[in-house]
This record gives sequence, C-alpha cells and structure tokens, in this order.
Amino acid sequence: MLKESASPVRTASVESVTTRLRANGQLDKTAKRSLQVIHTAFYYLVILSLSFVFLYPLLYMLSKSMMQMQDVADATVQWIPTRLSFHNYTLAWKALNFWGGFANSAIISFGSAVLQILSCSLVGYGFARYRFPGYMVCFVLLLFTFLVPPQTIVVPLYLFFSDLGWINTHLPFVIPSLFGHGLKGALFVLIFIQFYRRMPNVLEEAARIDGAGPFRTYWKIMFPLAKPAMLIVFLFSVVWHWNDSFEPNTYLTTPDFYNLSQRLAMFYGTNNQAAEAMSQMTSGSIGMAPTGLNQIMAGCILAILPILILYLFVQRHFVESVERSGIAGE
Amino acid sequence: MKKSKLSMRARYFMEGYSFISLWLFGFLMFMAIPLGRSMYYSFHALKVSKDGLIATFVGTEHFRAAFTTDVNFLPLLKETMVSTLTQVPLILIFSLFCAILLNRGMIGKTFFRGVFFLPVIIASGAILSKLMDQGAANLPIFYNQNLYNKLSAFIPGDILETLLKYAESLTLVMWDSGVQILIFLAGLQTISISLYEAAKCDGATAWESFWKITFPMIMPMMLVNTLFSIVSSFTKADNQIMSHILNVVFKNNDFGYGSAMGWIYFIFIFLILGVVFLLFRKSLGATEGRK
Repeated sequence: MLKESASPVRTASVESVTTRLRANGQLDKTAKRSLQVIHTAFYYLVILSLSFVFLYPLLYMLSKSMMQMQDVADATVQWIPTRLSFHNYTLAWKALNFWGGFANSAIISFGSAVLQILSCSLVGYGFARYRFPGYMVCFVLLLFTFLVPPQTIVVPLYLFFSDLGWINTHLPFVIPSLFGHGLKGALFVLIFIQFYRRMPNVLEEAARIDGAGPFRTYWKIMFPLAKPAMLIVFLFSVVWHWNDSFEPNTYLTTPDFYNLSQRLAMFYGTNNQAAEAMSQMTSGSIGMAPTGLNQIMAGCILAILPILILYLFVQRHFVESVERSGIAGE
Repeated sequence: MKKSKLSMRARYFMEGYSFISLWLFGFLMFMAIPLGRSMYYSFHALKVSKDGLIATFVGTEHFRAAFTTDVNFLPLLKETMVSTLTQVPLILIFSLFCAILLNRGMIGKTFFRGVFFLPVIIASGAILSKLMDQGAANLPIFYNQNLYNKLSAFIPGDILETLLKYAESLTLVMWDSGVQILIFLAGLQTISISLYEAAKCDGATAWESFWKITFPMIMPMMLVNTLFSIVSSFTKADNQIMSHILNVVFKNNDFGYGSAMGWIYFIFIFLILGVVFLLFRKSLGATEGRK
C-alpha cells in the first residue's frame, strides 16, 4: 500500500520498461495461451457432443418412460414431460412379470459369469504358462472357437441338450460355462492368457520352492492376482448374457423361463386402447401416436436397470482394469 | 506316487495338460462334436419320429437349395455382408478417434470413459430393437433439419442419399464401438511417452507422430478390433440371417437345411476373416520386427 502511493510514477515506468522488454515473448505467450484455450474448448465441445450421442438412448428411454400418453403424442414436448408419471413403470413391471424374468436373467448371467471366471482363468493360466506338445493346435482351436458363429452349431447343440432334458432349464448356459465355453468363452480365455503372460514368473517360482504344487500355486498366488482380468470377464459375461437373446430364444421356450430381454422383446405396451383414443382426440394424426411407447421405454429401463446399477458400481475400476490387464495384448 | 516316476519334462507337460483339460473336454462336447454333427446333418434330410431323428442322405441338396430355391437366404446373406463390410471400417475409425480423445488427461476422465462404454450395456439385444422400432436408434439431426433439401442444391441426389443413409447409420456404428474403444484405449496406454517426446524434439507435428508412431504401434489392436467387430456384427442380435436360421429350424423343423445354412454362413465369415488376415499380415510383420 505504502509503496504504491509513494511512487506511482516509478512503478508505471518500470512496468512499461518490462512490458517493452518482454513484448515479443509475452505476445507469443498470450497468443499461445489463447490458442490453447480455444483448443481445449474445442476438445471439450467434441467430447461432450460425443457423450451426448452415447447417452442418447438412455436419456431417450428415461424421458419417454416418464411421459403420459398426451406428452408422447404432443409434438411440442421433446424431452421434458409436462407431468412426471411413474405409472408406466408399474404397468411395465407387471407386464414383464419382473421378478420372474429377473430371476431367470440373474441365474443365467451371474451363474455363467462366475463359472466362466473360474474355468477360463484356469485354462488361460495353462495356456499362458505351459508349452506342451500340441500347444499350437490347442491354441488355434481356441481362436477357432471364438470365430465360429453360434448359428452354425445351434442345431446339434439343441438336439444334444434336448436329449439330456436340458431344454427349459438353465443348464445349457451354465454347464458350457463350467468348461470354459459358453457365450464368448474363448474370448475370456484369451483375456486371461494375456493377463497371466504379463505376470512375472518370480512369484510362482517362490511358491514352488516353498513346496506348493502347481494347482496350489495357481489358486493361492496367481488367481487372486488376476482381479483386473476377473472384473473385465465378469462384467462382459454378465452384460452379454443379460442382453443375449439368441441362445435364450433357442433353449428357453416356455414363458415361465423367459428372461428379461425375451420378455421385453414380446412386450408391446398394454395401453393400446388409450393410445387409440388419444390419437382420435388429436384428430387426423391417427397412427402417428406410437402405441404404448412410453410403457415400452419403461420396460426397457426396467430390463437394463440391474446391469446399469452394477455398471455404476464397477465402472471406475472396470476402465482401469482394461488398461492394466493388457486386454489388447499382442 | 506315479507322478514321481515321471521325468521333470513329462511332469511339466502333464501339468499343462491338466490345466487345459477342462477346456479340451468342453471343446469336444460343445464344439467339436456339434460341429461334426452339424456337418453330417447338412448333407442329410432329417425326419422327427418316435425313435428319434431319421437321417437320409441327400448330398448337397440343402446347399443348392439355399442358393436356388430359398428366396430369403441370399438377399439376407448379401445384406449382412454389405452391412458388415461397410460398418466395420467405420467402427474402427470412429473407435480409434474416440480412444485418442479419451486418452488425454482431462476433467471427468472416468466419467467420459464410463459413458463411452454405456451403449454396450444399453443399446444391445432386445433394447436396441425396441429403440429401432421407434426410430430412436438414429439421431434426429439428419432428418429433422431437412438436410436432404438443403444439400441437394450442392450434391447430386444419388450420392447425397447414400451419404445421408450412412450418416444415419452412424449412431448405430457409434453405439457398437464401445468394446473397440476400450481395446484401443488399452493399446494407446502401452505406447511409451518417450517415443512422442523424441519425435517432438525432432520437430514432428502431431499429425506426423500419429502416422509414424501411434498408427503402427496400434496395428495389433487394429487386427484384434477388426476380428472382434466382424465376429460381433455377424452374431448381433438384430442379425437377419440368425433369425432366418432359427425360423427354419424351429418353426419348420428342417434341421438339415438349417445346418446347411449355418455352414454356408460360417464359410462366408471365414473367407472374410481370411482376407482380413492377409491384409494385416504385412503390417503386423513390420511391427513385430520393430519390437
């Protein structure tokens, strides 16, 4: 305070000198700075708009599911419903018979996921650490398994399972998983191979010297270390089983055994009469009002809600794990 | 007791085999035998009777039928092939772009990364088909703004129409690329920063260092992603061939014909995968030499 009031002239002159001295560099710096700001702003613009594209289905479903029929039919209502309504959810809940579908979905996806973690990890370890006669043949067969579309072998598998009496049970999903197969099982084995290959040998050697057998070494030392790979396999397996419809449609044929995504596929909204009345009220636009769209969207939300919640919890660790586990590999 | 008599080498082999024995057994049960049986069925006509299935040999009749008498199969096959061949390159380009965007340090890193994987959970299977039913699988920007009329003054109609069609399918491409983005992201993390620093010292621009460093280094992931995209697009839930085969098999009970179609489909997929391997052979050899 004192200094400033004492010699305002002097400070000003000093400033002018320094600015003159730094003029060139300073200008460069500010130009660079502003360029950087523009760059960053542009970057966030791009990433935010891309994020919108990715969030779009979720936002769309959420917004439509809370609308009433009037809002769906009304072209002036884009995103925000005029009145919040959770009625659609109760209707969809009943129409989906949520708990029944949830139980089937949960048994298939969580059961298979856990078994696939156990079996694919074991097999992956074998492939990663051992070289035995016929190794290359087995490895090529593994890749081959990954590439064979399930459509090719659906007929004999169906006949095989029906001979065993497994149709309309959860066994066609769970038992192949137990043996490291099932939905995308080969991919999960590959993920574990990639992970174990990157682990140092020293840990196992230490355990072996201490007298642990190969399986004990695997179970006590290597398996617990594979958490990142386990998380990836778990999430992928749960999500893919949850959303899969090809195999459930093949092996689960009575409505009691339908899982959530099958039930959703059959669900067309029960409010058709109301929708028709609505479209007549808005006169002229008959057929324009999508029938039961809001209920279908509520059903969609309900069908993915469990894995959405799961994803919310593991998302953070999931992306980290992908980076650490070497999923991309050579 | 028996183990100790074996030599070290044999014991090591046995350990290896026992680790993968679970998978080998599964492979026999759920892959090799079904594949063999499906090959057998595809050359036979199957009749369901009291004593089980009765197979009579018909030779290549089913295969010929798929190409000549079935009015649905060939168009569906062509459609699937075309959509795969056009979408896979788009997916690759887009997911690489996203991975590079997400690889930077930024505010809300985990949030954005989480968001980009979200469609894998949401927009798949039954939900995607519900969204498509409602026309909600395409962003409204392209048709809401009447882009066709606006642009038709500058671009000839035919080209514009295909372009807009492409643009519309772009949202589906984006939603399909969640896994690929993750794989690219993981790949980008493995490239050491010192490479970029060295390039910068030598005066390389960002554009140059992308083509000279990032692109060749990420080539193996490119192959992984290409294979993954191709396989997943052939086995997608909204795949028409898949439902056609299911229909033939379970509505018409025509097991033999269904198997034959499965095999034709499989052969086509393998041809495409073979071409991909050929294309990548050169560039992969280059990266391996550098390591």
